[in-house]
Amino acid sequence: MSTTHSKAAKAFLSDKANAKWHDKTLYMVRTKRDRLSHAIPEWEELRNAAQNIKQYSNSHLPELIEEFEKNATANGCYVHYAKDAEEYRTIIERILRDHSVRKLVKSKSMLSEECHLNPYLIEKGYEVIESDLGERILQLLNANPSHIVMPAIHIKREIVGKLFEEKLGSEKGNSDPTYLTHQARKALRQDFLNADAGMTGGNFAVASTGEVIVCTNEGNADMGISCQKLNISAFGIDKIIPDLESLAIFTRLLARSATGQPITTYTSHIGRPRKGGEQHFIIVDNGRSKILGMPQHRKSMNCIRCGACMNTCPVYRRSGGYSYSYFIPGPIGINLGMLHNPQKHSGNVSACSLCLSCSNVCPAMIDLGEQIYVWRQKLDVFGQASSEKKLMSKGLQFLMERPYLFHSALKMAPIINKMPRFLLYNRLNAWGKDRELPQFAKQSFESWWKKNHQSKNN
Amino acid sequence: MNSKDFIIHSLRENIKEHFPRPELKISHIVYHDKLKQFIEISAAVGGRAEILGEGETIDNAIRRIFPDASRIACNLPEVTCATYNPDHIETPTELNGTDLVICRGIFGVCENASVYFEQEYLQRSIYFISESLLMLLPKDQLVDTMHDAYQRVPNEHPGEFRGFMSGPSKTADIEQALVMGAHGPRQVTVLLI
Amino acid sequence: MKVGLFIPCYINAVYPHIGVACYKLLTSLGIEVDYPLGQTCCGQPMANAGFEKDSLTLAKRFEQLFKDYTYVVGPSASCVAFVKENHPRILSEHGEHVCETSKHIYDITEFLHDVVKPEHFASHFPHKVSLHNSCHGVRELHLSSASELTIPYYNKIRSLLERVSGITVVEPERIDECCGFGGMFAVEEPEVSTCMGHDKVKDHMATGAEYITGADSSCLMHMEGVIERKHLPIRTIHYLEILSAQL
Repeated sequence: MSTTHSKAAKAFLSDKANAKWHDKTLYMVRTKRDRLSHAIPEWEELRNAAQNIKQYSNSHLPELIEEFEKNATANGCYVHYAKDAEEYRTIIERILRDHSVRKLVKSKSMLSEECHLNPYLIEKGYEVIESDLGERILQLLNANPSHIVMPAIHIKREIVGKLFEEKLGSEKGNSDPTYLTHQARKALRQDFLNADAGMTGGNFAVASTGEVIVCTNEGNADMGISCQKLNISAFGIDKIIPDLESLAIFTRLLARSATGQPITTYTSHIGRPRKGGEQHFIIVDNGRSKILGMPQHRKSMNCIRCGACMNTCPVYRRSGGYSYSYFIPGPIGINLGMLHNPQKHSGNVSACSLCLSCSNVCPAMIDLGEQIYVWRQKLDVFGQASSEKKLMSKGLQFLMERPYLFHSALKMAPIINKMPRFLLYNRLNAWGKDRELPQFAKQSFESWWKKNHQSKNN
Repeated sequence: MNSKDFIIHSLRENIKEHFPRPELKISHIVYHDKLKQFIEISAAVGGRAEILGEGETIDNAIRRIFPDASRIACNLPEVTCATYNPDHIETPTELNGTDLVICRGIFGVCENASVYFEQEYLQRSIYFISESLLMLLPKDQLVDTMHDAYQRVPNEHPGEFRGFMSGPSKTADIEQALVMGAHGPRQVTVLLI
Repeated sequence: MKVGLFIPCYINAVYPHIGVACYKLLTSLGIEVDYPLGQTCCGQPMANAGFEKDSLTLAKRFEQLFKDYTYVVGPSASCVAFVKENHPRILSEHGEHVCETSKHIYDITEFLHDVVKPEHFASHFPHKVSLHNSCHGVRELHLSSASELTIPYYNKIRSLLERVSGITVVEPERIDECCGFGGMFAVEEPEVSTCMGHDKVKDHMATGAEYITGADSSCLMHMEGVIERKHLPIRTIHYLEILSAQL
């Protein structure tokens, strides 16, 4: 009955100390988020507003896309459209080729992960430098992010120390985070200065101004777009919001939800190209327009990628980002993975106890847990339902639809309590490995009722 | 069909329900002592905000707050202790190694200690490349929240770049340990004048 | 006012004394209680596992058994939430008209706290209890303020327990984190589920409480499984057993 997720989770949990650290650290982030959000009396009003804006903008994208393009073009920027990941990659490659770029410095972009940009460009001979510290660590380790906001949360300082020793020539045995961060700063400073182009994702694209808003704490996106003359910012169609009034709502929600900060250090409006330079925007669909046509799932397009659902998810915290097959883990990742490719990512659907904390924590009020419930109902249709689980469900259905059988069974059930342990606690019993089974009562409630009421009445 | 038409067509095909534009009337938090709130939150985000002392000049304050800064970039007429004007420099590489840059903030936001600024230097990178940054902000230009803030941000903007800055550049990407100075300034001070 | 008592399958089988406590408590408050015979399951285990359609017949049967009662009351927040939140859709998706029961079904907590409103319970329980705020109780039935939301604190179970003399009620640090039961989740993701159960029990133990108590026997059952295996010095008790201790 195990799923791809449950197997990977088991492996993650086998390192008890690390698993405990992961749970504790991310819960601390959730606690910081609580402290900040609880200090805003109008928080729930903001979440409602965010949901309503997204539902408005996502259902008026044809108009908003036109408005964005008109304003961005008037600002002197180039606007491109990519219907899928392949087109996104080729547009970027073409821009880089046309400008004889050899080295690209980029900030964190989940879209670039989604569209596998880096391997593509590297294969074509470009040097690609990730500039977000976490992403840079992972790039040097040749590893993938395990969280969308804290991509290297699973990497310990000693590993980073060793890595920097080898790749950046840092001191041997020094794994102090401050020291290591400043080593990376020194090295990346040179990359910023000698790259040929900069690239960012986009947190929001404001239709009424034609600007793309990038939010970071490190200032790496800003260094990129201010040191290079050629800049590219690419974002999904779902990032488009109507105006600055709407942006105000999201800037209040984003960092509080993500890391428990009142706002990110930088909220940068990329409006015009640098003097003598070029600014390119790429608007990407890659399946999003289809999702907007799925009433049960379209709210997943409200996502502002804050990662709060991961930090609150008791399963994510105890299984780590790599236990999910899709590159975005946690509750939103389960949903986006299923929307992307249900055959490939159905092994993540088990990673949910339906506690619904994610739905409560989401700043854009996506019904994340409820959507996972819906996916479970669809697994059978995709041929991805566990046959054992199906059998259990069918067996339970058979029994429960027959009250007489159920209640007769209950009369016999206490016998199980007396069964030898090896019959009950074995490989086949996933419950019993680390937990005792409940004991059947000698007399069921129904029997008790009959005895105490019917005899009286008769 | 080009890709734009493809996307627009796909959107029109798929979107079956059109949600109305919400009216955004948020009855938001109001800070009675705006200066106090701004200064407190500045510290909380790892930065610093202080009021220019009585009788103190901006130059004096700069020298007091950044006694060790030797390479100081500024193009503002009210600052005379600058060692160079970054507008006279061609490339970001030449700006690298700047100890302190002084720039103007337009208004501050009390809920998060961010300061709205518009690019006033020719080189955008000067805002990020320096080791420290001092923002001069008129102390009567404080608003409560981002709602008020974006009311004041003009839709039409003639400049290249603008945005909000709240405290120094920072990261916690190694084991969630907070470190100031990831890529941008390690120290950011807002001088309320 | 006639109350139809809804006794979920596992309470019938494993925890009948909680059903009895519920019955006695309601009767002691002057409420006429009936138990329609032949109850089995609300269908949640199948549905949460992804086989909602397997629960259609059960939903229909539930509606038949309970539709004529003024109130349907059950001592299990999760099961009540399932009937309330999911039965109407399950029935309507399969051409059944209205779902009457979903409109007047109450978890015993809501029923006591919001409808009956007794000022105190004739019970004495001189013990420290740690309150288990269960996921569906909190986030579906809103029995207490969910920790994620920015709303004023309230807790209906706590409020009821504090009407018992001698009791000390505390709540764990992670006030409403899941215990890891989740129906078939417990066997499909056994390692994560068990880890959640252990962490939750430890969080309750850190309060110094003698008992873990709450409105969901399924969570209590899960934690009990953990406690018994590890022989931990804490016990589980449904809060109705506390309210009805002297009956």
